[in-house]
Amino acid sequence: MDKRTTQLHSYHESQNAKFIDFGDWSMPFSYEGTLKEHDVVRNSSGFFDVSHMGRLEIDYSELDKISSLICSDLINIPMNKALYSIFTNENGNALDDVIFWKFEDKIILIPNASNASKIKSHLVDHNVDFIDKSLETVLIAVQGPRTIELINDRFEIPEKFSTAKSDNFMYARTGYTGEDGIEIMASNAEAESLISFLIEKGIKPCGLGSRDTLRLEASLPLYGFELTEDITPVEASLSWTITNEHDFLGSDRIKTQLQDGNHKILKKFTIESRKIARTETIGMSSDIKGVVTSGNFSPILNKSIGFILFENKPPQNLIEFDIRGNLIEGNIVNKRFLS
Amino acid sequence: MSDIKYLETHEWYLINEEVITVGISDFAQNELGDIVYVTLPEIGQDFEKGAPVVEVEATKTVAEAYAPMDCTITEVNSQLETEPETINNDPCGDGWMFKAKVNAIDDSGMSYQEYETFVS
Repeated sequence: MDKRTTQLHSYHESQNAKFIDFGDWSMPFSYEGTLKEHDVVRNSSGFFDVSHMGRLEIDYSELDKISSLICSDLINIPMNKALYSIFTNENGNALDDVIFWKFEDKIILIPNASNASKIKSHLVDHNVDFIDKSLETVLIAVQGPRTIELINDRFEIPEKFSTAKSDNFMYARTGYTGEDGIEIMASNAEAESLISFLIEKGIKPCGLGSRDTLRLEASLPLYGFELTEDITPVEASLSWTITNEHDFLGSDRIKTQLQDGNHKILKKFTIESRKIARTETIGMSSDIKGVVTSGNFSPILNKSIGFILFENKPPQNLIEFDIRGNLIEGNIVNKRFLS
Repeated sequence: MSDIKYLETHEWYLINEEVITVGISDFAQNELGDIVYVTLPEIGQDFEKGAPVVEVEATKTVAEAYAPMDCTITEVNSQLETEPETINNDPCGDGWMFKAKVNAIDDSGMSYQEYETFVS
């Protein structure tokens, strides 16, 4: 079956992007190289076409219904704020991790590309009305410490984790790289002129390769790896997202886990070398077994980093990884990879 | 000295009397993307044709480079331990991986033109 491509596919081809299959999608993996693009976003500004993610418009009449499906308090966060949250199922496990943008007149919900269909069905099943704007818009993430100064002549810049809109764009000061920046939703008709504007400003196109190394270094989970339908927000060390004080789908199990602390747990680790403990690598903390969910090289720390899911609370910080038959030591880190 | 030859597993080798120099092709480094770590063999280690000799870690995936023929390692490119990106920048030159004494000659690799056809 032919893979889906975004509205900007011909632009990516014109830039000689290398493509990668990502679920149903063929997306740019890199243009000039993952590490170069990583460096651009850490030090200057880069943009990512993330139009493969979903964009659903929801009316405020649906707020209570949608609130009963997520673990965070969407009702009480102020207007014009963005919210990271998790849709849970009846067992409290993660159906998707998503971003909400609150505007005065509507809410925009951004599910992951791989979960967009699932979330739409889930909303239908729970009688939540929405308008799918995915096909008529693009979503561009502009990220990096110089982003704001480079685009503030065309965009009124909201506070961090806040939303704004202009005639042609809806956007929020959010991202998935650990850097400052904005994520912009634009109509298909505006897509090319938006890209031209970004390029004129010297902002470089970046692919999913660097998006992955950047998000990992920023200690951010990726659905399909850290988050699945077999893990709760508590187990994924995302308890900070559980701010919904009302009952929501699976909230009983989540409350139980928060109280008794007896559950599997996702941890971050570093390895003092460049040897990478990749997804599915086994790591032992004493006699507690863990499985790596994501692992890669951190260009900033110049060592290997990753997430590992332990069967229960690990008794020590030292981890022994079995990397293709070699025993390699690593350490659990309890703070973020980047300070 | 003969010309560089290529294997279907994307190594190149160059035979000079009884010693081969081995690395990975430009196509291979381009497919792997940024290389961040290599595990080189020990000098004196014996390898049979087709055995994995070098482990190459890239941000995208991990790959192995195989022995083009039966050989014994005589030298490794220790520059790669600190600058593995040399393989990306100059795969068939400064990015060579190891030299080895040939124990059973097998010069059946593809010419550059044949390899270009193979990968295209």
